[in-house]
Amino acid sequence: MDEKKEFTPSIIYGLCSWCGTGGSETAGAMHLQYAENIRPFRVPCTGAIDPVYILRALIEGADGFAVSGCHPGDCHFDSGNYRARRRTAVLKSLLDTFGLDSERVWLRWVGHGEGKRFADTVNEFNDHIKEMGGNPLAKRRDT
Amino acid sequence: MSKASTVLIYGTNLSGYRIAYALGKMGYKTVMLNRGAYVDEVRNQVLSQLPFDLCWACAYAPQRLFVGLGAMQIMYNAELLELKGEAGNFTAKIRKRDAFVNNYICTECEKCVDACPVTVEKDGKKQKAISMMPKMFWENIFLIDEENCTQCGECETACPTGALKINPPVEEVEIEAGAVILAPEFDEPGEAELSHFGWGSIPNVVKSSDIARAALATNFTGDSFKRPSDGKLPQSIAIIVTPHFNEKGIEYENCNASAQAVYRANKIKEMHPDIDVSLFCRDYKCYGKGHCRMYEQAKDSGVQIIRTEKLALSAANGEKNKISFKPGGTNDEKTVDMTILITGQRPPTTMERLSKVCGVTAESHGFCNIMPFSSAKTEVDGIFAVGEFTSPKGNPETIWEGYGPLREITSWLGGKSVEKPKPPVLRDVSYEKTRTGVFICSCFGTFSDKMDLESLANRVKNFPHVAHAEIINGCCTPSSIQETAAKIKESGVNRVVLAVCTPTQKMMKFRKTVMMAGLNPLLSEFLRLREDVIQVHTDPAKMGDKAAAMIYAAAAKLKTARAMPTLMDHMGATVLIIGGGASGLEAARYLGAAGYDVQVAEKTDHIGGMADILPIDLEGHEIQKYMTQLVDDIAKDTHITVYTNTTVSDVSGYAGNFHVRLETKDGETVVIDPALVIIATGALESKPDLYNYGKDERVMTQLEFEQKLANKQITSGHVAMIQCVGSRNPKKSYCSRVCCSAALKNALILREQNIDVTICYRDMNTYGFKDDYFQTAMKKGVSFLRFDENQYPELEASDDALKIKINDISDGKEKNISADYLILSTGMEPDRENNEAFSKLFDLNLDDDGFFDVESCACPYEDASKRIMKPFELSSNGVFVVGCAHSPRSFMESVMMARQAAGKAMVILPAAKMPPPNAMYVSEVDVSKCTGCGLCVDVCPYHAREIDPIRKVAVVRPFLCDSCGACVVACPSSAAFLRDQREDQLIRSIDGLLAI
Repeated sequence: MDEKKEFTPSIIYGLCSWCGTGGSETAGAMHLQYAENIRPFRVPCTGAIDPVYILRALIEGADGFAVSGCHPGDCHFDSGNYRARRRTAVLKSLLDTFGLDSERVWLRWVGHGEGKRFADTVNEFNDHIKEMGGNPLAKRRDT
Repeated sequence: MSKASTVLIYGTNLSGYRIAYALGKMGYKTVMLNRGAYVDEVRNQVLSQLPFDLCWACAYAPQRLFVGLGAMQIMYNAELLELKGEAGNFTAKIRKRDAFVNNYICTECEKCVDACPVTVEKDGKKQKAISMMPKMFWENIFLIDEENCTQCGECETACPTGALKINPPVEEVEIEAGAVILAPEFDEPGEAELSHFGWGSIPNVVKSSDIARAALATNFTGDSFKRPSDGKLPQSIAIIVTPHFNEKGIEYENCNASAQAVYRANKIKEMHPDIDVSLFCRDYKCYGKGHCRMYEQAKDSGVQIIRTEKLALSAANGEKNKISFKPGGTNDEKTVDMTILITGQRPPTTMERLSKVCGVTAESHGFCNIMPFSSAKTEVDGIFAVGEFTSPKGNPETIWEGYGPLREITSWLGGKSVEKPKPPVLRDVSYEKTRTGVFICSCFGTFSDKMDLESLANRVKNFPHVAHAEIINGCCTPSSIQETAAKIKESGVNRVVLAVCTPTQKMMKFRKTVMMAGLNPLLSEFLRLREDVIQVHTDPAKMGDKAAAMIYAAAAKLKTARAMPTLMDHMGATVLIIGGGASGLEAARYLGAAGYDVQVAEKTDHIGGMADILPIDLEGHEIQKYMTQLVDDIAKDTHITVYTNTTVSDVSGYAGNFHVRLETKDGETVVIDPALVIIATGALESKPDLYNYGKDERVMTQLEFEQKLANKQITSGHVAMIQCVGSRNPKKSYCSRVCCSAALKNALILREQNIDVTICYRDMNTYGFKDDYFQTAMKKGVSFLRFDENQYPELEASDDALKIKINDISDGKEKNISADYLILSTGMEPDRENNEAFSKLFDLNLDDDGFFDVESCACPYEDASKRIMKPFELSSNGVFVVGCAHSPRSFMESVMMARQAAGKAMVILPAAKMPPPNAMYVSEVDVSKCTGCGLCVDVCPYHAREIDPIRKVAVVRPFLCDSCGACVVACPSSAAFLRDQREDQLIRSIDGLLAI
C-alpha cells in the first residue's frame, strides 16, 4: 500500500492548441493546484495526435497518456476531435490486445474556459494511474 | 487643405470595432473613445442582446493587434466635448483619463495584487483592493476597487513595467479626423423602464443579461440559474419578453428578444429537465436563421409557451413571483420561484449629447436619424452612425454595418497613414551546427520570487541539446523584446527555447523577439513556465523537475527544426457576382465605384430580379426608383461587365485565384479568374397547394396581390389574408421575415381606399420599428384575428363568396368571415436546384431548409468565434453569400448584406500578394515519400490538398491550410508534415518529457 502511495506516475497530457491549452491556462489564471507529474504535450489539434505518439510514450515508459481538446462540435478545425475520438477508441481496443492496459489512455474534452475541469481531470487521471500502478514496460530493458 | 486620414470612433459597439478592424487592415488610423474604464466595461451590455451565450471576443480581439501596430489608439473614460470643422477635416476635442493598467504593457505578473495591503471581503471571498478579472478575451484584466483603495501607491511601486498608474490625470486632447463614426453602445433598460415587471423591487426578478454574465463566468454550468434570494435552484421559472408587455417604460424589441427567450428556456431545460419553465410573449418573433427550430425544440422539451396580450407581475409569499395574464380572453395566474426578463432596448441616452456636439438629429423614436437607403449616413457629411444607435438591433445587424459604410467612410479620408513595419532580416543558419539557447523569463522578477530560476538555468545548461541558458526579464513589452533579442543575438545561438508564459495571448510578441534576433520563428519553441508550473504548483523540487522536463523536450524538439520562408500567393483583384438581383447589383455598384473590376452573371435575360416587381416597402422606401438608379449606375460604370443569359458551368481554384467558366445560352463560354465570388442568387416565392390556390382565381399569394394592387385592379370588396401559410411548421421550419410586413403594407393601402381587410395571423413578426405599423393598422380599422398554430382557418368557397371559418384565440370565439379575395402569405422558399448546384461548385453547405449555410456575417452566431477574425476575412473561402440565397430577407436587408460583403471584399482586394493565413506554419509534402494515395486530400477540412495529376503526389495550397495536422496523421508514408511539428520532432519531444 505504501508503495502505491509513493509511486509517482509519469504522465503525458496531449493538449490541443485551442481548448485543451486554453483550459490549462484558465486553470493557471485561477491558480488551481494539480499534480506536478503531468507533462503537457502541445499539438495543434487532438486530431493531430498520431496513435504512434501515444504508443511511443507508453513504450518509453510513460504510465499514462491523457488527451484533451475541444468539445464535440467545437473543434477549431471542424472535425479533428471526432477523428481523435475514433482513433482513441481503436487504439484502446488494440492496447488490450498488446497486453497494455487500455485504461492508461484517456480522452476527455476540456473547453477553453474550463479550468476547473482541466485540473480535476489531471488529478482524477493521476489517482487512477496511481491505483493502476506503474507501466510494466518501463521496467523492461528491451523497450 | 489635405484631408485627415484618421477616423474617430465614438463608443465601442460591435460595429465600431469592425470598422476599426477594417480600417486598420486598409492602412488607416483610428482613435476609439471608450467611455468605460477598461476594455470591456460597457461591452457587457451586449450580453443582454445575445441570443446565445457567446463572449464575442472575436469581435473585439483584433484591437490588441492594431494597437500594437500603431493603427489604433484607444482612449479610456473618454468623452467627446466638441467637434469642429467639416468632413475630411474635423477637429475633435476629447476629455479622457487613461485606464489604471495599460494592458498593452502589463505582463499580468500579479505583483500589484501581492503588494496591495488592503484586503476586503466580497461575496464571502477575500479580495485585495486591486484584483484580477480572469479571461476577458485573451487577457486578464486588473481592476482597482476604488471604494476600498487607500491610494497608498504600493501597487504602482511594485509594478515592474510601469503599466500601472494609480492616479491617471484627466486630460483634454485634440484630434484631427477625416470622418467620425458614432458607435455608442446599446442602452439596456434599467429600473425606470422595467418597473412594470418589478425589476429592482420584487425579489428574484432578474434580467437575462445577468444570467448571461453569470453563465460566462461559470462556463455555462447549472449554477447560472440560482435564485438570488437564497442561492437555491428554482423549481419553476418564468421567462418574459418584456417589450411585448411593457406599459410604463419605453422599450423597443431588438432583433433577438423572442429567440433569446426560447434559447434561454431550452438551455435551462437542457441542464435541469425537472424545472418547470414557462415563456410569456405576445408573439413568438422567430425570423432569424434557425430560430423556428429552437421553438420546435422548446415545445418538445416541455417548455410551456404562453401567448398573452397583457401581463402583470407581483410579489408572492416565499419570495416568489406571481404572474397574472390573459390568455384567450380569460384571466389566469401562475406563481413561480424566479422570473427572467428578456429585455428590449431603450432609445440611446447619448443621443441628446451627440446631437448637440455633432449636429446629428434624432428620429421619432429617439434613435439617430440616418439617410434613407443608407445604412449609416447621417445628415452631416462625414459623420456616420452605426449599430444600436440608429435603431433597435441585434448583434448580426450591428456587425454588418461595420463593413457596409466602408467605401463612404474612406471617401472622406486622405492618404493611408499606417505603414506596416518592415520585417527584420533573418539569418541563414542552415550551414551552422545546432546551438540551442534556453531563455528563462523571470517576468521582471516575479517568477524568480516563486521559483528558483538560477538553479533551473544551471541544470538545463548541462542538457545534451542545450548550448546556452540565461535568465531574461521578459519579452512582451517593447523594451524587453529588444533587450531579449539582443541577448539572443549576443549568445550566438541558432535555436531558441523561450520559457515564458502563454503563447495564446503573446505568441506574436515571442515570435517578434525571435525574429528581431535574426532567427526564423520555426527555430524557436515557447513553453509556458507560468501557466504550467508557477501558477499551478507549489513544491519547489517538483516544479523544477517539471520545468526542466519541458525545457528538455523543447530543446530536443528543436534539434532538427528547419527554417523556412513564408510563402506568398498571388491575389487577384476582380470579383464575380452571381445573380443580377438587387443584392448582386448593389454589391457590383459598390465595388465598381471603388475601382474594382466586377463581372455579374445573370441567368435570365434581364437584371433586376425579384425587386423589379416590388413597388414600395412598409416604411415607404420607393424600391422602383432605387432600382432604376441602380441599373442606370451599373450601365454607366465601365468597371462592371454584365453577362445575361449566363450560367456558371465550372469552378476551380481557391480564394484569391478562382477560375470560373461562364456559359451563355447560345453555348459561348467565357473564362474569368475572379479573386472573390459573391453569390446573390436569391430565393423563390412559395406556391402552396392549400386553400384552393391555383384553382380559384380569387385566392392569390401576397406578391401576386401586390401587383394587382399596384395596377389598381382591386377597388372594392372584402380582402382576407392568412399569414404563415405552409410555413413555420416542422416541414418548413423557418419564417420568411417579409410576409407580415407585406400584409400590413397592403392592408394599409387598402384601408386608404376604404376596403375592408381582415388579417388572420399566428404571430405578428414585426420587428424593430415595424411594430408601429401594426398599431397603425389596428387604429385604421384593419381587423386582426388570431389562430392557433394547430388550427389554421378553414375555407369554404362558393361562387358568391369565400367563407373563412376561424377560431380566434384572442377571445376564444369561433368567427366566420365572408371575403371576396383570399390572400395567402406564403413567404419564400429556397431555389433548391440552384442552391444545390452552387453548393457543389463552391463546396458550400446548405442548411436544413435549403438556404446557404455559410458565415457571411448576416448571421454570425453560427460559428463566428472561429471565422470572424481570420486574418483575411476569407471566412467562407473567398465566397460570400448575400441576400435571400442566405436566408429570407427584406429588400433593404438584402441591400445591406450586399454592402457588407462588398465592404469586406474591399478590405481584401488591394493586396497584390498575400501570405497564407498561417504564415509559415503550414503543412507540406515530402515528395520523395508521397505515394499519391490521396488520404490526406480526403481528410483535409479546408481542401488545401490535392493530388498533382502529372506527378501523382500530393500538393498543398498554403493559402487554404490552417495547419491542423489532420493530414500528418492520415499519411501512411509519413510524407505529410507540419513545418513546425515534424513527426520526428514530436517523438523526440515525447522522449524528452519522459527523460526527467
